[in-house]
Amino acid sequence: MADAVRNVSAIAKRELAFYFGSPIAYVAVTVFLAICGVYLFVVYDFFDGNQATIRPLIEQIPLFFILYIPAVTMRLLSEEKRAGTIELLVTWPVTDTQIVVGKYLGALGILAVTLVMSLVFPLIVGSLGDLDGGLVAGGYLGLFLLGAAYAAMGLLTSTWTQNQIIAFILAVLLCTFFYAIDTMVGSVWESARDAFAALSMKAHFANIARGVIDTRDLVFYATFIVVSLVAAVQSLQTRNWK
Amino acid sequence: MIQVSNLTKTYGDLEALKGVSFEIQRGEIVGFLGPNGAGKSTTMKILTGFMPQTAGQVSVDGVDVNTDGLAVRRRIGYLPESTPLYPEMLVYDYLAYVATIRGIARGDIHGRVARAAGLCGIADRAGQAIGTLSKGLKQRVGLAQALIHEPDILILDEPTSGLDPNQIVEIRNLVRELGRDRTIILSTHNLPEVMATCNRMIIVHQGRVVADGTPAELQAREEERPRVRVVLRGAPAAGAAEALRSLAGVDSVKDAMTAEDGATALELTAAAGTDVRPQIYALAVERGWELLELHRQVLDLEGIFRKLTQVV
Repeated sequence: MADAVRNVSAIAKRELAFYFGSPIAYVAVTVFLAICGVYLFVVYDFFDGNQATIRPLIEQIPLFFILYIPAVTMRLLSEEKRAGTIELLVTWPVTDTQIVVGKYLGALGILAVTLVMSLVFPLIVGSLGDLDGGLVAGGYLGLFLLGAAYAAMGLLTSTWTQNQIIAFILAVLLCTFFYAIDTMVGSVWESARDAFAALSMKAHFANIARGVIDTRDLVFYATFIVVSLVAAVQSLQTRNWK
Repeated sequence: MIQVSNLTKTYGDLEALKGVSFEIQRGEIVGFLGPNGAGKSTTMKILTGFMPQTAGQVSVDGVDVNTDGLAVRRRIGYLPESTPLYPEMLVYDYLAYVATIRGIARGDIHGRVARAAGLCGIADRAGQAIGTLSKGLKQRVGLAQALIHEPDILILDEPTSGLDPNQIVEIRNLVRELGRDRTIILSTHNLPEVMATCNRMIIVHQGRVVADGTPAELQAREEERPRVRVVLRGAPAAGAAEALRSLAGVDSVKDAMTAEDGATALELTAAAGTDVRPQIYALAVERGWELLELHRQVLDLEGIFRKLTQVV
């Protein structure tokens, strides 16, 4: 167990050092914050609303995340495969599960840093008027869970290919699919919309962002993440096919 | 120490290994030799637990690579072909990362990294990004990575490929140095490399072991079965081959490539320990053929390697 913790944390730290040791993380976080700012203050026209709320931004970020999170996760394993470093990684005394979990925690670290940096928006809005702290907390919890689910999906697609672009595109498609499955199904088959809401990240996100913490929503995200990570481990193990 | 028996590996329709067996004792430096595609890398990938064999057994001191892969992997240091490293990492950070995953206690990491880097001659490069190093230096980082946990077995897949002659000599010296107290398997398609560093060679070809022994043993084996080249004039080609084949001590006869006008050139292999030249001379005299050439060829290792790995 101590070995597992050590290996997972070494792998996660290496991922974080990669992102923050190069301009990549800074550029990505800056661009992300700029887009959020433009959305909140220009597109949504916050100052005309005359209301201290960041709810429109929190509802929009899941869409930004559909591009942002896969961009962060696309290289996690595809690059190891392309460069051949996977051959050393898996012949060190590390299990495939430790590799996947370590990489995943690295991605969650980026997600956490991004969300912390974006707290600048509630701080600005809160300084202008009376902001509902509970809604912000709920919104951020929802964003973290949703981002964590996207990251698990992105990690999975990154095990499928050695091409980062392909990993990115597949992750974007799958995240879009699971984000809006109820809307997509509902547009052609109205009566099935509610049934598919159970599978929809958007529907579960909306519940949490409203400040309602329901175990069903938490279980949904946890299940989604675990299934994706288990699939990623399985995908790594396909090299063991005889 | 390392036992490999009847190893086979198929990739789809391709049979990369067709029953490879060998045994390696503690302290040997074994050159795994063969042309490209012979199955060297495949064997090494199985030994290191990167991928499983289709059939057969691999064990290290009786521990099966497939059933207790982690235990075997802890004892092995591996340098894959083409030395995959993380170019953005600093040499020191990379080695410290490997040391951590190798389970070296936090307080010992600095000492281990310094020792491995010193041994591989990269101590002064610790603060440099791996991507900015020359190919020879990267190779040394790869070796330091394989050594960091002081394994008793080193598996090096083409450690000198792509290096310039000076770097090759440096890496060879390093491997010899490391081999004093370790078991090393290194693969190469370069024969002088084996001669310079190894005390045993295993030649693989088309997924099979075709020779196994010390360079001197292989040479001696070859000397026992010399080839004899005969050029005869006035002999019918088929008749000459048949007559030669019927001589006692002649194993096989084949037509050689070149012959002068009106002459037949033949190449034959004699049975071990026999000299067939007097009989050939006598045969030529008896049949009234002119003996233009009679030459006993002893192959050097280069020739042995080519003979064993010819595509038939």
